[in-house]
Amino acid sequence: MIQFERFTLANGLRVLFHNEPSTPMAVANVLYDVGARDENPNQTGFAHLFEHLMFGGSKHIPDFDAPLQAAGGQSNAFTSNDITNYYDVLPAHNLDTALWLESDRMLSLAFTPKSLEVQRQVVIEEFKQRYLNQPYGDAWLHLRPLAYKKHPYRWATIGKNIEHIETATMDDVRAFFAQHYHPGNAILCIVGNFDLNFVKEKVDYYFGNIPGKEKIIRNLPQEPKQQRFRKKIISRKIPSDAFYYAFPMGGRMDASYYLADLLSDHIANEKTGLLYTELQRKKKLVSEITAYITGSLDNGLFVITGKLNPGRTFEQLDAALWQTLDKYTSRPISKSVLEELLLKMQTAKAFQDQGLLNRAMNLCFFELLGDAQFLNEEADHYARIQPAQLQHFAKAIFSKNRCSLLQIQAK
Amino acid sequence: MKNSHAQTGLDRTVAPPLLPIEHIQFVAPESSTLKNGAPLYWRYGLQNQTSKIELHFAAGSAFPDPLTASLCAGLLINGSKNRNAKQIQKALDSLGAYYDVSLGQDNCVVSLYALNSQLLKAYQIFHESLFEAQFAQKEIDQLVHERKQKFKIQAQKVNFLAQRLFQRNLLAGSVYAQQIQLKDFDRADRAAIQAFHVTHYLNGLQKVLLIGDFDQNIITSFIHLLNAYKMFEGKRLPFTWKPDLGAIHHEHPGALQSAVRIGRPLFNKTHPDFIAFSVLNTIFGDYFGSRLMSNIREDKGYTYGIGSHIVENQQFGYFVIGTEVGEASRTATFHEIQYEMERLQKELVPQEELELVKSYLLGQLLKSADGPYAMLDLFANVEVHGLDLHFYETYITEIKAVSAEKLQELAVKYLNWGEMLIISAG
Repeated sequence: MIQFERFTLANGLRVLFHNEPSTPMAVANVLYDVGARDENPNQTGFAHLFEHLMFGGSKHIPDFDAPLQAAGGQSNAFTSNDITNYYDVLPAHNLDTALWLESDRMLSLAFTPKSLEVQRQVVIEEFKQRYLNQPYGDAWLHLRPLAYKKHPYRWATIGKNIEHIETATMDDVRAFFAQHYHPGNAILCIVGNFDLNFVKEKVDYYFGNIPGKEKIIRNLPQEPKQQRFRKKIISRKIPSDAFYYAFPMGGRMDASYYLADLLSDHIANEKTGLLYTELQRKKKLVSEITAYITGSLDNGLFVITGKLNPGRTFEQLDAALWQTLDKYTSRPISKSVLEELLLKMQTAKAFQDQGLLNRAMNLCFFELLGDAQFLNEEADHYARIQPAQLQHFAKAIFSKNRCSLLQIQAK
Repeated sequence: MKNSHAQTGLDRTVAPPLLPIEHIQFVAPESSTLKNGAPLYWRYGLQNQTSKIELHFAAGSAFPDPLTASLCAGLLINGSKNRNAKQIQKALDSLGAYYDVSLGQDNCVVSLYALNSQLLKAYQIFHESLFEAQFAQKEIDQLVHERKQKFKIQAQKVNFLAQRLFQRNLLAGSVYAQQIQLKDFDRADRAAIQAFHVTHYLNGLQKVLLIGDFDQNIITSFIHLLNAYKMFEGKRLPFTWKPDLGAIHHEHPGALQSAVRIGRPLFNKTHPDFIAFSVLNTIFGDYFGSRLMSNIREDKGYTYGIGSHIVENQQFGYFVIGTEVGEASRTATFHEIQYEMERLQKELVPQEELELVKSYLLGQLLKSADGPYAMLDLFANVEVHGLDLHFYETYITEIKAVSAEKLQELAVKYLNWGEMLIISAG
């Protein structure tokens, strides 16, 4: 159970506070409700490029990092298809420094052309390093547009292609800031050994006079229900053939999210999961195989992915995979296996919750979903799952007609 | 109007006053000696129900045969006399436990995590598996096959190629230079793995770290089980090295970026220059505002990231710079790295920058000491070099005292471009 307090400033900034008396450190986490899904299809990669620019100096402060480092702290950020999240971790007695920095860049950026030019280059190198210069690195650049035809999840956070980043202009940057970076579009979480009134006073002092703006209601094209099997084959210079089976699932707030999460854990379990025991050990078709969910806010994907053994074909794997999934859905899992999965999940969560930063990020994320308190209710959702429900869900999701398959062939 | 500038007196151009870190409390774990002579360190007083046991074995990849060491580590928890791999895994799953086997050059660290109500039960299963490890031929064949496939994928990455080339040349002449090659996988030998298991695990315990809130009965039960190992009494790894310095480029056709490693032999925590050099290293390349990041990423945009580090082993240490840069910027990057080294040799670090880095390092130390897990890690990081937590008191004092002149002296001594090994793959 993670206890927290919540208050909202007059300008619309939502604030969460979690008191942790045992630590000398503090976290200030700021989540902005903007991700790659909010981009114009002709200007993809922008939310992420923008995240880089947020470290290039703000209206009154030329350098973001130096004052934080001088306060003994450090900072970083990440962008997903759904959100952009910034965090500062520093000694608690210097909390002011983090609030001063975060509030100034929420108020306004410095918008220097130099910062745009340099970060454009940095992001292009990041594009190469993570997506283009790695074996299998571009798989998701192909899988997304195969599995999504309408929804903006059809492009990755890094962008559809490098040209979009190369052509971004200063005006685009200003417009993006004006639309998405304001108090009403942000959630701030403070974690540390503080008193609630102290936190209220400090947050109001630094953030209170940032002008509020109307939050724009998001209206994204939703993905129509897939009716037919889709397949794409690409060839790359790689050592083994790889496959990605993607099945559409509900969004993060859909009741089926918990079923999908548990199902992926179960079939992908190390050494005991069905994918490993049947396809890797018994039939020796693959050298590795796993399953996971994207966990996105809008309708997500359930993915089964792996690499073929030398001499094995995609056809052999395909037949065996569907057979394995059929076998899995033919009977419900036992109550005791379900309990094991839950205990494993509970253990992993206890370890994750140890981290201050993790707690701060989670509180912001669940507040975005509607209520930070959902974080404390997650375990109940999992605990309520019945074996028959899981079986029913598995039968429904593993449908060939709703599957998108990417195959990467070794050249 | 509420919250106006005038009322709150907020001048956004003025940074809030900073407070220094007054004190960091370093807490040593409880320690006792197992019957076999190995130390057991135990930390309690957690804020939650988590727990962990960590066993350190003298079973690193620098011992004579890296392939055998690697396969033995990979097959440790893979079946006992009465239970196969799947049954062991199922038994651990039913307790919600998970584990991790981390093979380093000096040793192999085996960690088991669970809620504190389950850790002893999980360790009993783990213990059975580790003690009665079977190394069945078909499990060896399976692992060798999987490792081979993974190796082929790794060998496509410029980062992997540069790192291997760097280590092979820097550590030349020592046992630490040996590396697994693809062809080695075909000579995996069950008898050698079994023998390695006996010498380096059953008779190879170095220490145990335990963390979690347990009553004395539980601790006694752990000790009883742990007494079954023998402490490692084999020879310490011999260490002499003759680094092959100079510049080597490995051509990897079709690469869009080059991976770069530049470095030289250095030292570990036991050396008197270690702490002052840590400050110099941070300024040069080990934080977001470092000279390398400011110049090569934030000014030129040549790379997504660049950093320098001190890598420590039990008997030695080295200094290394790592980055991945666009093919067109490789030579220019070398130039800038050399320029930044020489700038530290020629010019004193400005006071403001030095003070910033000192505060940053102390803040990071405060974070590294936050909570029982972090504190036990801090302890283990000095214990391995025969030091104790007093090291960190010295660290604080020396960091506060180090001068720009001292840093310049160290730059002249250790940061000479001509004395570096320069590797690129791309």
